[in-house]
This record gives sequence, structure tokens and C-alpha cells, in this order.
Amino acid sequence: MADYTSAFAASRITAAIDPPSIQANMGDKITYIGTITNHSDRAVNNVIAYISLANVTQGKESPMDLEDWSANKAIKVYTIPPHGTYKGQWPMRLIDSGSYVAYITVVDKNDNIPISSPMSRLKVKRVLRLNPNNVLPVAIGEPVFIGMVFMLIAFKRRKRVK
Amino acid sequence: MKTAFIMQKEIRESILTPKGFSWYVLTSVILSVLSYLFLTNSELSLLDQGQMLYMIMNFITALGILVGLVFGADAFAGEVERGTMEALFLSPVTKAEIAIGKLGAALTNWAIILAISLPYLFVVGKGGQNLLIGIAYVAILGTFLAIIFSAFSMGLSSRVKSVKNSLMVTFFIFLLAGAPIFLSAAQRRTWFGRILDFINPFACAINTFDSVVIDSQGLAYQAGRVAIICGYLLLSLWFLKRSVSRLEM
Repeated sequence: MADYTSAFAASRITAAIDPPSIQANMGDKITYIGTITNHSDRAVNNVIAYISLANVTQGKESPMDLEDWSANKAIKVYTIPPHGTYKGQWPMRLIDSGSYVAYITVVDKNDNIPISSPMSRLKVKRVLRLNPNNVLPVAIGEPVFIGMVFMLIAFKRRKRVK
Repeated sequence: MKTAFIMQKEIRESILTPKGFSWYVLTSVILSVLSYLFLTNSELSLLDQGQMLYMIMNFITALGILVGLVFGADAFAGEVERGTMEALFLSPVTKAEIAIGKLGAALTNWAIILAISLPYLFVVGKGGQNLLIGIAYVAILGTFLAIIFSAFSMGLSSRVKSVKNSLMVTFFIFLLAGAPIFLSAAQRRTWFGRILDFINPFACAINTFDSVVIDSQGLAYQAGRVAIICGYLLLSLWFLKRSVSRLEM
């Protein structure tokens, strides 16, 4: 019988996350690989694995809403054979700077406790973008050009009136 | 051709003037601010390129509608208030030709706004998905919407014969048509929100932009919405024709 008060339940499954730590810049794309291992003699079916991210920057500690970071938060694994593994991928876009921890959680409805991987440390460096996509020539140049046409029209009109 | 003459006259009086051209200076300044904001803001710059392109497309279309409404509000009511309507009627031009000429000038306005917007579309959408197809859709559907709202505004202008009243009504119409931009996605998913979206040609256009640029769906998927826009196109032209035919000195 399952013991609901136990903090550590014997589980058929373990989870791991790779890489164990990353340093990257804002805007970079990275991919976490989650490995789910079935240690039992029976196949494990219909487990759900998802990635979580928490901000551990001093003074900004909070869980992160992954909506803008990752399009692929949860994976359903139909079956893992006995003593087999499953590797899932979680691509992520680093949309804000700071220190984070990422981990994979696996939920098996036949267990009482979800299984989490060790945390992967993520450091995202802020990048100052002054001219992304080469926008400045258009953002400055076009109003200037149209302004010059405007002044030409105004000048011609004033000359005609005189 | 008489229609071309009216169109040239309107362009000379409304567009090729300092007051008229200042619209385009403002347009390019606003688009510059928006583009820079999108691309450099620490959160928005990391939005998907498709979403940024979609947002700029919505703005350009809304601007085209606004300019068309304002231009149309002055089209006939302005002539009445300036006392130039009589001279126009005494000229050897039919009412229909006057209306078509003025509509042509309104579309010229839209064409200039679209030309000004192209560099911004390219710079915001560079490297992203569906840039060229998005530009094609904004050009075609934007033109349809410019015709719809300009024609309707001109028809209203010919009936109301007051620029102030005509402008007030057109601004309310603009707010109503632009409601999709102000409502949240959740509100638009309610039954009433869906009805509003269905009957609103501007909502049809922005939903089409979303579908094409972000979801990469093809023309067949847009058929229903494009059909609604075409229906409004015919309705607005009919309204303009009816309104102008009743116009008297």
C-alpha cells in the first residue's frame, strides 16, 4: 500500500537533465535534453514529463511562466520499456537575463510522488541591442527623407503663392 | 479622362500640400517608433518575428482605414462648406465620375502609406516567416478595406453635408471597427466577440493576417473572411453610388 506521508517513495523512474549548466546571452536558443530511465522490470506507460524554470537571481526569486520561453513544455511518453530510457528535448529561447534553474519533472499516475531531475544552472547575460535587424537606417532615414519631400512641397507652394 | 482629372485635382489639393503631406511624415515617425520599440525592447524584441510583423501589419491597415475615413468625411461635405460644390456640379462631370475620382485620390493616399510602410515591414520581418506573403495580404486586403471605409465615409459625407458631423460619425465607426485591437483574446472568444469578429471587415482582415503570418495557413483557409470583406466592398460602393446620386446643390 502506498505511503502518502513518506517524503521519498521508491520509484520505478528517475529523471536527469542535460546540460548540467549553461551560460548564454539573451535571445539565444538552447535545448535541454531530459532523460527518463525506467529501472523496473515492467514497462512504464503514459507518463508526463515537463520542464520547469525558476528565477534564482538575488531579489527576483520566482517561478517562471514558460509561455514565451518554450513552446514545448510538456511531453507525454507513451511507453518506456523495462530498464529502458526515453530522451525528450525542450528547446528554449532565453528571453530575459538573470540566474535560473531548470529541471524536468516526471509524473507517473501509478506513483504518489512526481520525480524531478537535479537542477541545471542557467546564467543568461543581458545584451544591449542598439541596432537590431539594422532598423536604425530605416527608423531615422525614412522620416528624414519624407520630411525633406514635405519641405520641398511647402517651399514650392510658397514660391507659387508669391 | 474626366475621372482622372478629378483625381488629379484631389491629389493636388489634399495630398501635395504641406497639410496633406504632414500625414505621411507622422506615419513614418510613428512606424519608426513602433519598429524600434519592437526590435529593441528587452521583452518585445524577443517576440517571434511573425508576431512583430503581424502587429505592424495591423497598425498599417488601421492607419489606412483612418486616413480613408478622414479623407472621405471631407470629400463632399468639405466641398459644400467651402462653396465649391456648385462649381463642381456645373462642370461637365457626372456625379459618379466625381465620386470615382475622389475615391481614386483616397486610394492614392493608401498607396503612399503602403509605400512608406514597406521598408518597415521588411526590417521588422527580416529573417522571419511569411514576410512576402504577409506583405501581399496587407497590400490586397488593406486596399479593399481602404475602399470600403473611404467609400462609406464619402457616402456619409454626401448625405450629412457637414464635415464636423461626418468626422464624428466616422471616428465612432473607426472605434467600432478597431474594437478587435482593444479587446483581449479571451473577450473575442466569447459568443458576442465572435459575432463582432464575423461582421467586422477589419477583424476579418487582422484574423487573416494572424492566420497567414503566424499560423502559415493558405488561401483556402482565408476564403470565408475574404468573401466577407468582398461583400462589404460591394456594399460600400453601392452605398456611395446611392448617396452621391441623391446629391443636389
